[in-house]
Amino acid sequence: MRSSAALALLAAILTATAALAQQKDFGKAYSFAERAPQTRLERTVDRLLPSLVKVHGASGVATIQAYATGIVVSDRGHILTLDQVMIQKDRTRVVLHDGSVHDAQLLPEDRQLGVRLLKIDPAAVTGGLTALWPAPAATVAAATRPGRFVVSMGNAFRLAEFSEKVSATFGVVVGRANTALRHRLSDVAFDGELILTDACNNPGQYGGGLFTLDGDWIGLNMRLLDSKETNTMISAAIPADELLPYLDEFVHGKPRAAPPSANAPVWTGIVLFDQAGQRSPPAYVERVIANSPAAQLALRPDDLIVRIDEYPVRTCREFREVLQRFAPGSKVVVTYKRGTTVLQGELELAAEPRK
Amino acid sequence: MVAIALATALPAQEPDLAAVLAAQAQRTALVERCAAAVCSVMPMSGAGGGSGVVFDPAGFVLTNYHVIGKPELEAPPAVPDGVPPADAARGKDHYHDRKIGLPDGHLYRAEVLGIDPGSDLAVLRLVPRQPGQVFAHCELGDSDRLLVGEQVFAMGNPFLLATDFTPTVTFGIVSGTHRYQAGTGNRMLVYPDCIQVDAPVNPGNSGGPLFDTNGTIVGINGRIAVGDRGRVNVGVGFAISSKQIQNFLGDLLAGRHAEHGTLDLSAWFMNAPGGAAPQRGVFVQQLFRDSVAATAGIGLGDEILAFDGTEVRSANQLATLVGVLPAGAFVTVRYRPLQPAGGFGEPREVLLALSRLDTGSSRSGTGESARLANGANRRLAAKALRRHWTAPWQPLADCRAYRGEDRIVAIRREAVLVLEQAFGERRLLLDPAGESFALDPSGRRELTAAERTRLDREQACNAFLWTSAERDQRLAEAELWGGVHVFGRPAYRFRLPGDGACEVWLRSDGTPAGFAYHEPLLDAHVAWHRDGDRLLRVVDGVPELGWRTGR
Repeated sequence: MRSSAALALLAAILTATAALAQQKDFGKAYSFAERAPQTRLERTVDRLLPSLVKVHGASGVATIQAYATGIVVSDRGHILTLDQVMIQKDRTRVVLHDGSVHDAQLLPEDRQLGVRLLKIDPAAVTGGLTALWPAPAATVAAATRPGRFVVSMGNAFRLAEFSEKVSATFGVVVGRANTALRHRLSDVAFDGELILTDACNNPGQYGGGLFTLDGDWIGLNMRLLDSKETNTMISAAIPADELLPYLDEFVHGKPRAAPPSANAPVWTGIVLFDQAGQRSPPAYVERVIANSPAAQLALRPDDLIVRIDEYPVRTCREFREVLQRFAPGSKVVVTYKRGTTVLQGELELAAEPRK
Repeated sequence: MVAIALATALPAQEPDLAAVLAAQAQRTALVERCAAAVCSVMPMSGAGGGSGVVFDPAGFVLTNYHVIGKPELEAPPAVPDGVPPADAARGKDHYHDRKIGLPDGHLYRAEVLGIDPGSDLAVLRLVPRQPGQVFAHCELGDSDRLLVGEQVFAMGNPFLLATDFTPTVTFGIVSGTHRYQAGTGNRMLVYPDCIQVDAPVNPGNSGGPLFDTNGTIVGINGRIAVGDRGRVNVGVGFAISSKQIQNFLGDLLAGRHAEHGTLDLSAWFMNAPGGAAPQRGVFVQQLFRDSVAATAGIGLGDEILAFDGTEVRSANQLATLVGVLPAGAFVTVRYRPLQPAGGFGEPREVLLALSRLDTGSSRSGTGESARLANGANRRLAAKALRRHWTAPWQPLADCRAYRGEDRIVAIRREAVLVLEQAFGERRLLLDPAGESFALDPSGRRELTAAERTRLDREQACNAFLWTSAERDQRLAEAELWGGVHVFGRPAYRFRLPGDGACEVWLRSDGTPAGFAYHEPLLDAHVAWHRDGDRLLRVVDGVPELGWRTGR
């Protein structure tokens, strides 16, 4: 009797199950659902991620990467990135954290900082942009004392695609590098003090941010500093407060204050054999203008300038950069190479002659 | 105690220091506990080696496949002390034993049990130095819980620094999750869903564990991204996630050559083909005509929308989702077919079994000849898994399945055992004694031998009906036969002694997930996949959709 009761029950269920036959939720092998962040660092990283974007430029050349990281700095579509990565007009794309791809316009770069703003159309962004803004100078100064914990974020080795999350690395501030140190390192556009850190920074992470554990934006990741003398590398960042004048000008339209009493340009009478190109050539003298400081020193064409005072000069660009440190009238010791002989002499820097 | 003494001795204006010291004391204790399970894996003779971790007190060790390498071709070397090696009986193309150094300072012999060249994993078993030796071990954790920014630490033997086998510890954070790293050579050593860490990982760390702050194994470190300075750490290491490991652990413990699944198609993230509206998505670009995907109806140019319930947003993500699954796993693919006239049709969903990815390694096939572990090892593995059976055992009063007019009912805990199935027009009702059945609604005859066997086999392996005492009794002599993917999660296959290829499938916590046997009435291998009220019957590898459980 019981079995027939069971049969009746089965018949009743039958019609319902037929409708459900092709259920959609067959299985869910692998969801990327995540738990909520708990620790201070997890919460910080989680909060910062929507502001970090992937920047893709034209195809790279040799060791120059065509990809980098950018940071959203306004809800109107401004994105800050490093200009040392190959980006090209009309070819630069920005991938937001949600995976959406946007063509980016190039705004004027800042040559001193080596950074550039990109602009995407905010109307094309669903859900709006989450902008970050550099921490004020006092915060940056306090947060970049040696030993302070930092987290560096960016798309290292282009590991993350589309909506995948960019990398985060953890470390401490090693110190802030002075300019003399910079001049023994590779070509760096930025002329100020750099933040050095042991938080790993790799190609692709450049243009990303350096943050405190609370998420204060304290630095912009540069390319790895590469010392050709010791064959070592270190991660570096531009202090975030240094970005403020450039960002204020191009994001908020505030005119930049006049640079604090820069030195008047000096004149040596040296004309270098300089060529436009990716890398600045060594500082060979092409000709020496008559009645100039250089003529007094009896410099000749084909002499190679290697040092001015204690500053090494390896390229024509460094020659110009080093000279910016001096005012007309100051005397510098020029070290130069003639053939295989190294010579030294004093050069009195003159003011730029009127044309 | 030192930490507390220091903290109290400090002036009051340093309140953070006590917390820092407490955290440090906690960390050093954790490192000490975990270090006991971390080992150095080396060949019996010759240079090189890597790391590993003991994940079971019976001495099962996880490491990388590339630490083990290919099987030796020559016979194992003679042992000076006269103790025959565990691999003595093995012939050509079998692995020799490996040498494992534990932090207790001893060298152990270890058998290679299972390999997974596809995801760069291998499982070994330590041969105890004394009978009943219990090895220090760490548990496998849940890598799905990892978040970017979470603290982790790596352990192992980088540059083979530790000649006394005490591991090196490096500390860092999770830099990224769900990273896809393409393989080397012929689709070997793919890291399809790995954890990116900034904890330094160097050559020799391979096969070593990545721990979370609970001291559970969340990954196996096996790979690093390198800059332009050679094979040294640049702060980008990759660990095989414990989630992926668990998908293959059944096969690895059972001495199998674990095999990865593939859809046999390549899909790109691109603009819609055929001049369809400018829309980006993941579109099928290459497809074998006889592949599982093509057989299921997926064609060139079709857009892949979702894989096994997860929305597909990039080609990378699809590769990640597929790459962690074993061959034979049943998955759903949701796609929009490209119409011959252009444009796309309505979304469709198909169920298919992933086919086997040929990793090009020297061993292949799933037959008994491909096994590395013997029966004793497989029974040992089956016993070892019992300690995870923490889930409360709740036998079902009955176990029924329905699909349209087909009904299979076995009511066990009531007085009447009913076996009902639409074999043609027959409906079978078994009488209380279980000796005869009724031809519904009238008539009565003896069960045929095949029907009797069919009933016996189901009773033997339908774990949903077992009491916990029955579970212990029936599985006492069971061998671990391999792994199986049931409704998106891994389960272990326990093979029962006797004929009929009867298998019970249990999740790692001991919950039944299915069973399989050779069904004499259909003369086919029938497997039941079950998860809650979801049910799938697979007859000779062909899935039958639409089965539902009762009630």
